Amino acid sequence: MKENNWRYNEVSSYAVLQDCEQHSRGEKGKGLASYKYWLSCLTFLAGKKKICLEAMFGGAREIYHAEENDISNLPFLTDREKELLKEAKKQSLGKLLQELDDIENAGIRLVTWQEEEYPGKLKEIYNPPYGLFCRGKLPDERQKAVGVVGARICSSYGKIIAEKIGQGLAKAGVAVISGMASGVDGAAQSGALLSGGYSCGVLGCGIDVCYPAMNRKLYDDLIQAGGLLSEYPPHAKPHAMYFPQRNRIISGLSDCILVVEAKKRSGSLITVDFALEQGKDIYAVPGRICDALSYGTNCLIQQGAGVFLNMEDFLREMHIFAESGENSSLKQKNHLENLERLVYSCLDLSPRSIEELLKETGMPLGALMENLETLQEKGCVSEIYRNYYIRSDVSV
Amino acid sequence: MYSIVSTAIVCGIQSILIQVEADVCDGMPALEMVGVLSSEVKEAKERIRAAIRNSGIRLSPKKITVNLFPADIRKTGTVFDLPIALAILSAYGKIAQECLDGILFAGEISLNGEIRPTSGILPMVLAAREEGKRVVCVPKENANEAQVVNEVTILPGESLNQVIELVKQFHAGTWHSAKSSDPQHDQKAGHAAPVLSRKDYDFAAICGQKILKRACEIAASGRHNMLMLGSPGAGKTMAAQAVSTILPSLTQEEALELAKVYSVAGMFEQRERNFLERPYRSPHHTISLAGLAGGGTVPKPGEISLAHKGVLFLDELTEFQKPVLEVLRQPLEEREIRLARKTGTYFFPADIMLVAAMNPCSCGFFPDRSRCTCSKAVIERHLNKISRPLLDRMDLCVEVLRPTLSELTEAKTEETSAEIRSRVEQTQRIQQTRFAGTGISYNSQIPSTLIKEWCPMAPEGEKLLRDSFERLELTARGYYRIIRVARTIADMEGTKRIERSHVQESLLFRSLDRKVWNWE
Repeated sequence: MKENNWRYNEVSSYAVLQDCEQHSRGEKGKGLASYKYWLSCLTFLAGKKKICLEAMFGGAREIYHAEENDISNLPFLTDREKELLKEAKKQSLGKLLQELDDIENAGIRLVTWQEEEYPGKLKEIYNPPYGLFCRGKLPDERQKAVGVVGARICSSYGKIIAEKIGQGLAKAGVAVISGMASGVDGAAQSGALLSGGYSCGVLGCGIDVCYPAMNRKLYDDLIQAGGLLSEYPPHAKPHAMYFPQRNRIISGLSDCILVVEAKKRSGSLITVDFALEQGKDIYAVPGRICDALSYGTNCLIQQGAGVFLNMEDFLREMHIFAESGENSSLKQKNHLENLERLVYSCLDLSPRSIEELLKETGMPLGALMENLETLQEKGCVSEIYRNYYIRSDVSV
Repeated sequence: MYSIVSTAIVCGIQSILIQVEADVCDGMPALEMVGVLSSEVKEAKERIRAAIRNSGIRLSPKKITVNLFPADIRKTGTVFDLPIALAILSAYGKIAQECLDGILFAGEISLNGEIRPTSGILPMVLAAREEGKRVVCVPKENANEAQVVNEVTILPGESLNQVIELVKQFHAGTWHSAKSSDPQHDQKAGHAAPVLSRKDYDFAAICGQKILKRACEIAASGRHNMLMLGSPGAGKTMAAQAVSTILPSLTQEEALELAKVYSVAGMFEQRERNFLERPYRSPHHTISLAGLAGGGTVPKPGEISLAHKGVLFLDELTEFQKPVLEVLRQPLEEREIRLARKTGTYFFPADIMLVAAMNPCSCGFFPDRSRCTCSKAVIERHLNKISRPLLDRMDLCVEVLRPTLSELTEAKTEETSAEIRSRVEQTQRIQQTRFAGTGISYNSQIPSTLIKEWCPMAPEGEKLLRDSFERLELTARGYYRIIRVARTIADMEGTKRIERSHVQESLLFRSLDRKVWNWE
């Protein structure tokens, strides 16, 4: 140990970071990597504490071989953390090497904070992750990034808007950062990939675990065309405790956070809190005041968040200039026949059943079906669930 | 002395005649009964001994042997008390053998000699008629049931003594049936006219719900199985009850077959009042496998058979135990239930129209996402409780929305069940003419090999179906189901060819999507 009366609170993690960078350089090889792997896998220590430890001891290897006494004297670890750390030091090195080999064979890389590849944006946050397990590409520092987050159980409105936003951002060359969750997150990311953009998924479980399982396709696509990262060790099961913490990485990687749909108490609002702490801008997609799923976003707007009205304005505010997309919705409407327009006018982004449409349009069933059929052919309407219809030609 | 008396035993819903022989001779006093008897028949020995003594008849101590044949059938049930008692009395010479000849006896006897009602009388009387016996003596309480069968004289038995008198009088020709003054007889005459007692289930009571009503009418017209999806309180149960009121009345033949099932189940009185009405059964979702399909060592019919020729309504379909639901598959296909037992295989009729209802998700609000809190996985798990093969047998699926307040309070006169029923009858007549002599009678039963022959389609209709096949990722089964339903819709309009509009409407009622969001 360098100095015994070293005070943790007085030194910012960034300073520590620079101090240590020189120290670890040059010492490359499997042995050292396995110590870093060991330190990365300790889930009971916050990232900033790991970084401090490394600064104090001079490297992950030194921590592993440190005297029990030295650990007991550490000022910034709780008793429980000290116990767990002492326990963790008993892991065999051979086993760690083996595990490291296994994950490398599975295409997983470990990027720790001293490495070039480590996203610079993360070094600036309060509690940067010590190591990131990643697959695919890590986000490019020079590319603008927007974190699109929202409810997992979202309405069709949220889902469509998220997907369109993902597409719009991708076309403007902006990276979409999100959590690969079902609902808004996944929709935004698949939208981005669909338009050939870059998207990065930050997971709240081991990097090799696809959670939720039904996002398998998105998971595979992200490895191919985007990136996935997680600060949790491989094979880690999704844990309720992990998700709020990973949200700080989402906001950390993003230049601004865009909330599409959120209920009163939503995990997305945690991301917003982190983003505010990190000094990022917040935007919210407004919704109807009676929709429970728009309560959170409307509240954000009330508290001063930016209002997302359309992609063009949003990009302008973010100082991104891309060619403006034409407003297809208006154009299309002119192609509609009278009756089609009547049916179309009864629809919006929340699903309407045939029964409701019958009542509203007053048309006989056959005629209604006929019109819905042609509207579907024209691409203005889609059947989202059996006998439930929504508009599908919306653009943001 | 020797005597012989006829009785019968119920197997499934059929009945087989059994002969009871008794022999009385000198020897060690005893009552021996043989002929593959179950324990309740063996117990008859004690009941009969007491009943005879309590009827004031004294028998001298002799060796009595009773035999029931044919010996290869296991004798179960309680109908043997009366014939055994009469056979013994006849063997003692208390009744002349001639008085008992040609009469079928059935009934349970209590210790004081009274005759108690029993189940399965109707099939026995029918079997007796087939075997050429024109007189039956049954417990008085079962007389109504026996009277359903024409051309058979019924001797209602009240007690052992009374029966002895009755048969003697009958033999002497001095017995006259009290038929003309019997109120039961008037009721029998009333059987011919359909009694519709279910005014409270009338379709007129359902407000709005156009699509649901349409689906019910289509389902009833072609006897298609129907699945309703809707949040609690949307009116699914009401609709299911109403479906049974728009089905045409039973024919005399069908009613008799159904009455046999109820008789065997000991529930004949439920059919008595509305003999020609289609049954409606709605078992609770906690029902056991045996309760639904029928069961027991001597099988009794289950709910499926009790709903024979009528409507079986399964509410909260997802809450039924999986094996219980799976048992439905075979009867839905074969229209009868086979129960194999050690003593033989029993058949129960099970030609039902299945109407089922379930919530679209666990909380019941899907796809209203502002209220439904179920994740996609939860919804899929919910839907997966219904197996694919069972879902494949549901021809129509329809969403039921909660009616709005304005619909409930609006003073609009809705169509009554009677009006709808007359249309349904018309559509069913078209089907019967088409299928005459083919062994099937409804569109829902058209085999896929004959679809082309019986369901000619307009080119536009065929095109729409082809396009939809790709778009909706239909299975072959789903494809045929849509055609069958379209056939019924075309029949309702009286057109020979299936037009585009028929296919379109049929697509509206296509089977449930497993995928929650269609576009993913």
